[in-house]
Amino acid sequence: MPIPSDEGWIDRFVDRLPETRLFKLVASWILVPLWARLTPVKPLPGGPHPSFQHGDNVQCMMNLIMPLKDKSPVGRALAALAIAQNKEAIFAGLNNVGTVHFARFVIVGDNICMFSVYDGDFTNYIRDFIATIGSVFNAVVELVEGGEEVIPCEDNVEAFIQWVHERDLYQVPDTATDFLRDQEALNGDRAVSPVNDDLTLLPRKLVLQLRANPNVSLGSGYRAYPGFSVAQVRKHLGVGW
Amino acid sequence: MVDASVAKRLVQAIIDNLPEPVPGRRPVHTIGIGVKGEFVASDVARTYCIAEHFNGQPVPVSVRFSNGLGGLEQHDGWSDVRGMAIRFHLPDGTGSDLIATTLGEFFVRNVADFFEFAKVAKREPYQRRHWLLKIADFLRLKVPPRNPYPNETENVDAGALRYANRHRFSQLGIFQVGSIGAPESYARASYHAVHTFWVTAPDGVRRPVRFSWQPVAGVRNIDPADVSRDKYLFKELEDRLKRWPARFMLMMIIGEAGDALDDPTKPWPATRVRVVMGTLTLTEVPKDQEAAGERISFNPCRLAPGIEASNDPILEARRCAYEVSRELRDGCPFRWRPDNANSK
Amino acid sequence: MSAMFDLAELQGNILRGYTKKPHVRYLILEVADRSAARRWLASSVSGRGDGVPQITTGDWGPNKPDTCFNIGLTYEGLRALGTPSASLEMFPNEFVEGMTARALKLGDVGPSAPENWPAPFNEPKRIHLIATIYAEKVEQLNEVQERALYDREALTLLGTREGYNFPGDFVHFGYRDNITQPRFEEIHDPDRYPDRQPRAPLGTVLLGHPTNLEGLTWRVPLPAELGHNGTFNAFRVLKQDVAGFEEYLDRAASDLLKHPQVDELLQPGDEEKIGKGLSRRAALREIVAANLCGRWRDGTPLALSADAPDPKADLTDFDYVGVGDSRCPHGAHIRRCNPRGGQIVQRIANNSRRLVRRGVPYGPPYDPAKRDRDEPEPERGLLGNFIGASLGAQFEAMSCDWLNLGLQDPRITGSNDPISGANDPVTSWFDLPLKSGGTIRLRGLPRFVLTRGGAYTFLPSLSAIRFLGSL
Repeated sequence: MPIPSDEGWIDRFVDRLPETRLFKLVASWILVPLWARLTPVKPLPGGPHPSFQHGDNVQCMMNLIMPLKDKSPVGRALAALAIAQNKEAIFAGLNNVGTVHFARFVIVGDNICMFSVYDGDFTNYIRDFIATIGSVFNAVVELVEGGEEVIPCEDNVEAFIQWVHERDLYQVPDTATDFLRDQEALNGDRAVSPVNDDLTLLPRKLVLQLRANPNVSLGSGYRAYPGFSVAQVRKHLGVGW
Repeated sequence: MVDASVAKRLVQAIIDNLPEPVPGRRPVHTIGIGVKGEFVASDVARTYCIAEHFNGQPVPVSVRFSNGLGGLEQHDGWSDVRGMAIRFHLPDGTGSDLIATTLGEFFVRNVADFFEFAKVAKREPYQRRHWLLKIADFLRLKVPPRNPYPNETENVDAGALRYANRHRFSQLGIFQVGSIGAPESYARASYHAVHTFWVTAPDGVRRPVRFSWQPVAGVRNIDPADVSRDKYLFKELEDRLKRWPARFMLMMIIGEAGDALDDPTKPWPATRVRVVMGTLTLTEVPKDQEAAGERISFNPCRLAPGIEASNDPILEARRCAYEVSRELRDGCPFRWRPDNANSK
Repeated sequence: MSAMFDLAELQGNILRGYTKKPHVRYLILEVADRSAARRWLASSVSGRGDGVPQITTGDWGPNKPDTCFNIGLTYEGLRALGTPSASLEMFPNEFVEGMTARALKLGDVGPSAPENWPAPFNEPKRIHLIATIYAEKVEQLNEVQERALYDREALTLLGTREGYNFPGDFVHFGYRDNITQPRFEEIHDPDRYPDRQPRAPLGTVLLGHPTNLEGLTWRVPLPAELGHNGTFNAFRVLKQDVAGFEEYLDRAASDLLKHPQVDELLQPGDEEKIGKGLSRRAALREIVAANLCGRWRDGTPLALSADAPDPKADLTDFDYVGVGDSRCPHGAHIRRCNPRGGQIVQRIANNSRRLVRRGVPYGPPYDPAKRDRDEPEPERGLLGNFIGASLGAQFEAMSCDWLNLGLQDPRITGSNDPISGANDPVTSWFDLPLKSGGTIRLRGLPRFVLTRGGAYTFLPSLSAIRFLGSL
């Protein structure tokens, strides 16, 4: 199939423009900050999307990224040690709270990250964990920027839960249009039809949102057996709950 | 309620928007290929649905894969919705159909929406966007509309976008159409039945569900730069099936109270219980394509006892529109089961 | 009642049920003028009996009051009174956001959603203060209301809700209620019946004291006179569909009659044990009603007597262990609200989400004989107060994880509370336990209870009222 004759060199050049170094520099240094000023975007709240429905309230994700105060191998080692020294407490907490599918501590760069999959309400989850492994939270959060304001967590329950919630990553929905709905909800825009949207602005909206929320979770999570709680899985596997 | 005249208008609205009508053929999904195969239900399928093809006994099936575009021009490499219509041939000689496409959600909620969409999203000339305008798009951090495909002079993109900008319910479906691409093989795409159906379990419990086919070979699209490959999907499928059968898993998602039961524009969250209902094995592309696909008249509401249509107005409209279309192209009439015969 | 601290510091409705005062009226109020409203608050604790009704405290002294009067303030109310922002910021999120913002956690969805609440609850930001009057007679309610609203500068009446306790402590669905409340450490109450549950730490119900969760304390808004010994209340207007409930019992009984295992639920010939002269169908209705609630309608807990009501059974001295575990449905209403010492998924949460409940029915009692199917039933339901030191850790935690999700037991996870839950007949279910260990699953439960209003309020101590009055 011949290339249509009206395509000239300038068309071909412009089509490839976004991949050029120059354009990328212009975009990140000029265009993105400019549009962020002209069309400001608020950070979207973290954690699972609020929902009353059952399936949305099991296997929820928490994704915490907490910058370490001490950005050196020593600081990272302190974080590693804080987890390692509390292995017993973590396992006991896991069993006593009973709603956590997986929890992982990961060091990425100079951040300590906690990723977990849990059932039920987020505040109950954190509160129950403060009750069982508050000392572990204290040991970890002490090493984290801004952490000293909310420890000991046992005496700052509400503030600690809020602190964690504020650090929980925004979960970008599975569909592009649900991302737009999140933005609209945050701006109090509940219009349905007819509206006057511009879908072609989606790329810019995404870019600006990722500027406001630099760390995000992509998608709502990919689950092999959605809809079941920890205890349901344990019961069906015959390992007690 | 969709009566025959509305169904006729629906089909006419589709035909009117074709580049040229193709009498005697399907107005859309015109280009397709019939395949033979077999479906075997999973061991749990029967606990959710009493329909005969879910009882675990292998069931012969006829499948027709298709390109969504209407008309006789074949553009396999174009970004387009693909269809996968299947008939489960039940032992008593009746059939149960399941019609799916690569589109996860539909873009209109009901017939009135559809007529409005048809009015707004007419075929319009489609040209390469001028490079100056493209630069303006880049400066506004927008992605310019794609370049026309070779020989593509008109399409409905601009109208569909206008419609989507007016109606949020349509945005997901229309956005997905725009980014759907072209599969490497008909056997390498996921297909979704879009509508909600009700399945009845042996204990009488009725559940709202949605069905999807997932390819065992995996989902894979061609490089969008290969858009000029017009004809490869039929041959690919024939070659593939000569070597090895192609398989699909039938997944059934169970809806919860509060999920959209009658609105095909609304997705169900990925957090719903998902059941493996069985495996489809495609074995050959029969020589007689007229019998294997072209003459079969599928209908999304031809359902075995144990599966029922929801009150989704689009599903109801399709029941009638498919029949109208079948009559127009003189398609093979197929026995309706006595209990859903009146649906004609 | 005596305590290690001054009960006169507390509002009386926190620890007392006012059971001898069956008439209850709620005044939903808006602050009209900030300084007048402060004066009103100051007068309410001034000790003078002539003007603004005096707040009833926990210490009645030698003379029982003729009427009782208590108040709760919403966050908007505290703001309207000009509470310093440093203090406001210390109140918990759920209280600041208010009940309507927490609808998803509370199951206030669909027809229960705040958008569908009637006035005055359709304007939650205007609700500043909810005053409650308790009296023996309606005339007394009127008299106290008149005194409360005498100064029109201070407060504007947005609406009222009124209830009446039926004789015998029965409530609309025909169950006996007001049976049990948490007993508290540090408070001696000689009238209390035996209760196998541990005494609740005072922090369950008062800010500034040890809580149910070991080592955890809730934030006390400062200054101390504002927050200390205060508590929070979830006030709920809950409409009950009694006709629908009774119809459901009919339907369930008819279905059960056809069930192959029905004899395990009710041995033929045992109908008399359920109630005098009951037909088999009528007896099955009562069995279903008992299982949905966890108590027979006379209050007998299923955990103690699963086969029939037993007037000799203790109403409170039971737990969900052993027979009590196997014979009371895991999804029964009272078990979902308070699983006591029974096995639950969140082991740490046993006994941690307890609440003081003060409820009064509103609307006329349901009389099937008078029912006119062509006329809509008059609205009836419950004016409920769910009191605890942390709305998030107690009321919301119970509502969200236990009532709505059934997270506490994998056998009920994914089902809603059978009586108060936001059920949809399409998906709802409830398991009746059988002696053999099996279950019979009931389906198609509709929603029997609709939320028709409510607010989160702060129940200030007497010092706090003085503090607010002197701002």
